[in-house]
Amino acid sequence: MNLLKFVSRNLFRRKGRFAFTLLGISIGMASFVALLSIGGNMQSVVKQKAEGLGANFLIMPENICIYNQMAIVTGETISEQLHYDVYESVKNIDEITVIPHLTQKTAISEMPSVVAGILPEETMSFKNWTLASGEYFATQDENTAVIGINFADTRELDVGDTVTVRGQELIVKGILAETNGNDDMTMFVPLSVAQRIFDKEGYISYLSAKVADMTKMEFYEAEILSVASVQVATNDQLLESVLSILGSVNSTLQLIAGVALIAAAFGIINTMMTAVFERRREIGILRAIGGKKGFLFRSFLLESGLYGFLGGIVGVVVGYAVSLFAAPIINKDELSMLKGVSAQADIDVQLVVIAVGVSLLISILSGLYPAWRAAKLTPMEAINS
Amino acid sequence: MSIIKTENLEKIYKGKGKNAVTTHALRGVSLEIPQGAFACIIGKSGHGKSTLLNLIGGLDNPTAGRVFIYDEDITQLSDNKRAQLRAKKIGFVFQSFNLLENLTALENVQTAMLFAKNKAQNAEDLLALVGLSDKANSKPAQLSGGQQQRVAIARALANSPDILIMDEPTGNLDSQSAEEVLEHILKLHKSGKTIIVVTHNDDLAQKAEMVFEVKDGKLTDS
Repeated sequence: MNLLKFVSRNLFRRKGRFAFTLLGISIGMASFVALLSIGGNMQSVVKQKAEGLGANFLIMPENICIYNQMAIVTGETISEQLHYDVYESVKNIDEITVIPHLTQKTAISEMPSVVAGILPEETMSFKNWTLASGEYFATQDENTAVIGINFADTRELDVGDTVTVRGQELIVKGILAETNGNDDMTMFVPLSVAQRIFDKEGYISYLSAKVADMTKMEFYEAEILSVASVQVATNDQLLESVLSILGSVNSTLQLIAGVALIAAAFGIINTMMTAVFERRREIGILRAIGGKKGFLFRSFLLESGLYGFLGGIVGVVVGYAVSLFAAPIINKDELSMLKGVSAQADIDVQLVVIAVGVSLLISILSGLYPAWRAAKLTPMEAINS
Repeated sequence: MSIIKTENLEKIYKGKGKNAVTTHALRGVSLEIPQGAFACIIGKSGHGKSTLLNLIGGLDNPTAGRVFIYDEDITQLSDNKRAQLRAKKIGFVFQSFNLLENLTALENVQTAMLFAKNKAQNAEDLLALVGLSDKANSKPAQLSGGQQQRVAIARALANSPDILIMDEPTGNLDSQSAEEVLEHILKLHKSGKTIIVVTHNDDLAQKAEMVFEVKDGKLTDS
């Protein structure tokens, strides 16, 4: 017999109460782990997407708000727009390669879809796409589409199929090889076709640009601003501002996780107080046969700590499972910025250690008061209760 | 040499609340018990026997007076020091056995050994001593009253105590079980332990070397 064996006997003696208390802390920890890993996952996805743009910087409408910046990174429609002339002016600046995009969100095969109007030749040389099947655009104004590989998969489209966008029939001409960016989820059409379909003649959404030397960024920016009223943001700047939004989303998630944990802590306090009350007589017996206050304090604290330890482990497992299943659902509905998040929520060893540690700490703190109450009982008041 | 001595022990229980009743449980009890003695405390219910026993065992503090064990005034000791003293020198047996319900017979004895300062034997030997080797893995609920009380005696011996304090050890037992328990008590006495028993059992009282009768919180001459 040792303390741990003694305590574990007490832990499991009321199996129902043990299960429900464990469930409480496990749910708290699971939400903690799930929300944190989903939050972390969002950040890594956004980084991946920003890299997938294949540009050094973006030229956007003036005064574009941060949500629209984020929309560009994640491949969404933005409400502001640029005149096509801006493209004409900027492309003549030396050492800058630039391509226009007109991105619009619409429904294709009853699924929300992003259609991007591009200049076929310029975009091909900018992005160096390869095709998985079919062919690339031959002219600047044909009624055809080249689609990303995920776009094709999710809508079961193949080369030669017809897609209707706002009443305009387009033939799928080619499917792009995987790019690991937003391009995989996009349908590309020639710019002039997109402008016509979406009534945006003469307009584009933004320009992406590459330069030979990033250290001269300030110079290029000045050059661009001298020919057009636009806003210029480097990829890193854009990423930073998007990540700052995600940061606040993350804090909200952490707050929710925190509330769940506090609720779990009260569950443990309640269980332990009940246990102290129920076992008053036993506490008295233990005192009578020579048990010191410290023994009782330690045994109740250890019992409480075991709830945290076991709850932490169960919570981590359940939390990861939830984030694995939840991520794709969240993508689809609530946070479209997450579209394309792969279902593998990374198992972060640090998060696991922190989660179990936090759970242990919470349960030990929750056990302090009940353990103190147990130790404070005198043998007589305990035995006579 | 007296192993236990009390001087003018007074115990007053003050009730709490509006209709509180104050009970004067002991009114100046002085006694001495020599080492190795078998002493019985007898008397009617509610006259202060158990209170006296609890004060001798250091489970409670007197309102006035002193309790000496080996010449040490235990009323001056802290709660923890008294627990330490019990772990070292005293074994307790209660009327209602007071075994830990969720532990087996063996584990009940082993638990007492967690606190014991001088573990002379292992728990299995102690159960063998009270004739319960075959019940080592039984929980209290699976044992008869007599068997439970024998486990409680084995538990009380976990620290090889000099003093065994028993509060009506046969009070909840049928006559056959009481007989068995009595035999064990006598065996322990023969082995040199000082035994103090509160009892209503005449057989037990007759076999004692010393009998103290408590009446209205005082010792009567007997």
